[in-house]
Amino acid sequence: MTIDNAPFDRVSFVGVLSRRLFGRGGPVVDRLALVMVGILLVLAVVGPWLAPHDPYAVDPIASLEPPGAAYWLGTDDTGRDVLSRLLAGAPLTILSAVAVVVGSTIIGVFVASVATLAPRWLDDALMRCTEIFLSIPSLVLALGLTAVLRPSLTSIIIAMVMALWPATARITRNILRETMTSAYVEAAKIMGVSRLRLMLRHALPNSLDAIYVHASMELSGTIVMISGLAFLGVGAPPPSADWGSMIAQGQDFITTAWWISLFPGLAITVAALAFGLVGDAIRRINDPTSGRAQ
Amino acid sequence: MAHYVLRRLALAAFALWGVATLVFLMSRLIPGDIAAVAAGRLATPEQVEQMRVTLGLDRPLVVQYADYLLGAVTGDFGVSAYTHRPIVEEVAEVLPSTVQLVLMGMFITVVVALPLGIWAALREGRGADAAIRILLVLKGGIPVFWLAIVLRWVFGSILGWFPITGENSIGGAPPDVTGFTILDSLLFGSFANLRDSVSHLFLPALALSAPFISTLARNVRSNMLTAMRSDYITFAVSKGVPPGRVVMRHGFRSAFGSTLTIFGLQFGWMISAAVLVETVFALQGIGSLMYKSIVNHDTFAVLGSVMVIGFVFVFTSLVVDLLHMLLDPRVRTAQLARA
Repeated sequence: MTIDNAPFDRVSFVGVLSRRLFGRGGPVVDRLALVMVGILLVLAVVGPWLAPHDPYAVDPIASLEPPGAAYWLGTDDTGRDVLSRLLAGAPLTILSAVAVVVGSTIIGVFVASVATLAPRWLDDALMRCTEIFLSIPSLVLALGLTAVLRPSLTSIIIAMVMALWPATARITRNILRETMTSAYVEAAKIMGVSRLRLMLRHALPNSLDAIYVHASMELSGTIVMISGLAFLGVGAPPPSADWGSMIAQGQDFITTAWWISLFPGLAITVAALAFGLVGDAIRRINDPTSGRAQ
Repeated sequence: MAHYVLRRLALAAFALWGVATLVFLMSRLIPGDIAAVAAGRLATPEQVEQMRVTLGLDRPLVVQYADYLLGAVTGDFGVSAYTHRPIVEEVAEVLPSTVQLVLMGMFITVVVALPLGIWAALREGRGADAAIRILLVLKGGIPVFWLAIVLRWVFGSILGWFPITGENSIGGAPPDVTGFTILDSLLFGSFANLRDSVSHLFLPALALSAPFISTLARNVRSNMLTAMRSDYITFAVSKGVPPGRVVMRHGFRSAFGSTLTIFGLQFGWMISAAVLVETVFALQGIGSLMYKSIVNHDTFAVLGSVMVIGFVFVFTSLVVDLLHMLLDPRVRTAQLARA
């Protein structure tokens, strides 16, 4: 037996992350992205209270106002303030994405853990099951599921969790398989530790970092996908201010009032980029083979 | 080799069964009365009862499932609650449009990404490298439907270079033979029709390909780098093979195999993205069909489209894997060794 997992001082994950992102020599882009993620998360909670106007108040006199002093990002065709709607939509878009990732990660990790502990045939059956889910593109699958359920933001979240857990389950299964065969788990096994305990006390805690990394990478794609579903109109019905619906509401006015669709799109892009870059930074920190330097 | 092909075919058959089963389970998730949903919103109570019998909802679930699978095999996905036409007919009508869009998107991707990737590999750490990296970062963030709207706005409305909606201008459509407007134009032998069809497809296809260009280019780049550093390249160079030939015949050929696999995986992604892009450009493909069906609460038509897309995806990955095996002798021997 080779000692490939020699004990090492386990450094706190958050500690490493913050030191690397805010310490000297960290990539500027990563730091900007982390700051942006912080701002977005704050906005996702307090955004609706920062709105300068009522995001749902219809005002025909102020319709299609270009960006200016009164309405910083302009107004839409019914005179609603685009900036206020963006702020009101932040929780709808960002927190739903977080909910989706949390949900699919919990289910995925649970299924992977069961598969790891289960007899061979059940393990195979579960993994075959995930393969079936993966043979339909996840957006199409989620679209079908939202059509089956009633159109609402909750349906989108449920549908996306159901569409995304299989990928997480597969990745987690692979991570667990690797950890379960590592030297220290083998050693514990020889000492007579039960399989369940091996899994819960030894393998799973050591796989958590890799699972976090996967989850943080998923977040950015999830934001884009949620907006896509909302754009198609299977999400919350109007006058919802989630960013995908806002783009849909403004797309017919793009030639005369470009700001209605342009700003929500930029918001999605910035949010997805920020979460994606931070996710990638976490992956690089967690992956010793990628090297310390950028 | 026959063994590998058989194994792969069995796997594809299993996936098809799985997709059909999954869609069946989804249809049973419908809250409330399934027959009422299938019959449509304006159905009378008698029609709902009739639909209950047609769907076999009064019979045991196992029988329903068996019937359903039999239907799926024979291409019977039920009847649209909105148009009252067989769903399979509706899908077959629009599928060529989506396939054409995806193929065009792939064409643009290849034309841009292959040279970019090869160039980046040959001039490591220079301009092309940076371009790929920036594209990669942007790709993770820009929603494809928004990109489509912006492209339509800038190149269609403001600059007026391309038409903004539909498959053809009025009078610009070729006679419908295959459903593929480009192919029909060629069959008809009309350059004007061809031009009209291509210009209508260009912007949607560009929106579709943009996120994928960076993925493919990066893959080509890293494969090329590995290939160009290998011994047989050094050998070919020292033997005096001209540089262009070394790159294309020796380097690129070995780099191409795994690129093909990535391509297959991205096909599924492109179909989902096509669903979004089609609605922006009002192209009559499977995405627009799904969109219309959702708006009309035609749940079974949506599920039928989901199943067809799943089938197409399974079929494509089968073709890609078999192609990969044909093109790359290493895959064949590796599979044999495992089998």
